[in-house]
Amino acid sequence: MFDTKVIADNFPYLLSGVKFTVALACLVILIGTFLGVILGLMQVSRSRLARYPANLIVEITRDTPLIMQMFFIFFGLPALGIKLGTFPSAAIAMSLFAAGNAAEIVRGAIDSLPLGQFDAAKSLGMNYVQMMVHIILPQALRRMIPPMMGLFTTLIKDTSLAAIIGAFELTRAAQEIIERTYRSLEIYLVAAALYFLICYPLSYYTRKVEQRRVAGV
Amino acid sequence: MSYQFDPSVIVKFFPLFLKGVWLTVEISFISILVGLVFGIAGAVARTSPVKILRFLGAAYVEIFRNTPLLIQIFIVYFGLPELGLKLSPYASGLTALILYVGAYNVEVIRAGLEAVPRGQKEAAMSLGLNGVQTFLHIILPQTVRISLPALGNNWVALVKNSSLVSVIGMEELTFITYDLNALTFRSFELFGTATVLYLVLIFLLINIQTFVEKRFAYKT
Repeated sequence: MFDTKVIADNFPYLLSGVKFTVALACLVILIGTFLGVILGLMQVSRSRLARYPANLIVEITRDTPLIMQMFFIFFGLPALGIKLGTFPSAAIAMSLFAAGNAAEIVRGAIDSLPLGQFDAAKSLGMNYVQMMVHIILPQALRRMIPPMMGLFTTLIKDTSLAAIIGAFELTRAAQEIIERTYRSLEIYLVAAALYFLICYPLSYYTRKVEQRRVAGV
Repeated sequence: MSYQFDPSVIVKFFPLFLKGVWLTVEISFISILVGLVFGIAGAVARTSPVKILRFLGAAYVEIFRNTPLLIQIFIVYFGLPELGLKLSPYASGLTALILYVGAYNVEVIRAGLEAVPRGQKEAAMSLGLNGVQTFLHIILPQTVRISLPALGNNWVALVKNSSLVSVIGMEELTFITYDLNALTFRSFELFGTATVLYLVLIFLLINIQTFVEKRFAYKT
């Protein structure tokens, strides 16, 4: 039978997991967005020296599963003599993953701007930095917002993968409770509900922003 | 101690890797096909004039898109037996993957449905086609054509997400790699090989998708 007492008893423990999920997500979103903007700018750069390495990082992080990247960092780095805990390993792997995906959003937004914007900036005598800062980025930024928010929702959900390498967050907390109580259905459903409470407002707001953009307001 | 790269590990275990790749391809392929059916059904429900269907369609999409796939896999595999529904790892993993990609497909196909001009439906009706015929012969083919690029993104995500079923013991590419790593500790060779294999899979998928897209594009 559905056991509500086990939920009530273990709810505080799940909430302590939520704290780490939120912390990991914030960390990853901040570092990932920062690195992603740099990578994205490298991708649209005229220098091959900037473009090629950026493209390589973006392709690898976007075209392979996140869990694979996490294993690579978690099992691979110790082989090089770098020992990291589970939480830092998850944070590093996810930040790189976030950066690659954010870079593609930045590149896509810049590439979607009409070429005339670049020409006009140059014909006004602006140099590359001036053109980027005053003309291109302000316009690209508006186009980046909805896909970036979509990426953030994905990242929050993906923090659950940190549990696979043993980092403590909501999913790991749920697993620990289940190891003690054997009530998988109840605990995982509550965990799912907690993820939903975090993600739904964000994805709802994303849709509103997108609709407003499409409507041209 | 310095780490020595040892390519012989890759050669030695390559047949096992291929076995993993095969299962990854198999579950991805099944999920793509069945997920499409779920996507179409959900999109029809979401655009239906019946309020309760619209609500159910929306609830399906929001619940499955706003919770982690990992938790969904756990609920199907570990949670459902509490209700007396015991599924094998294979059936559980596939169920979760299909439901997950299906929810993403709903949104894409709904947008496609709404993009088909109204005149198409009116023209079909005026030719005497009934509702089902209009949908199957007129609306759906155009919808799928419009939705193909966005569906392709969902499929790429699906192949990557299929790695998560390794956690319930399905022996696909990620599981095999993890297993070999626990056995040999040759992390770089093993995860490097798996990374390359995933890149090849995704690359192939993107090319197939581009080919299909061109094949079904509007002739101008």
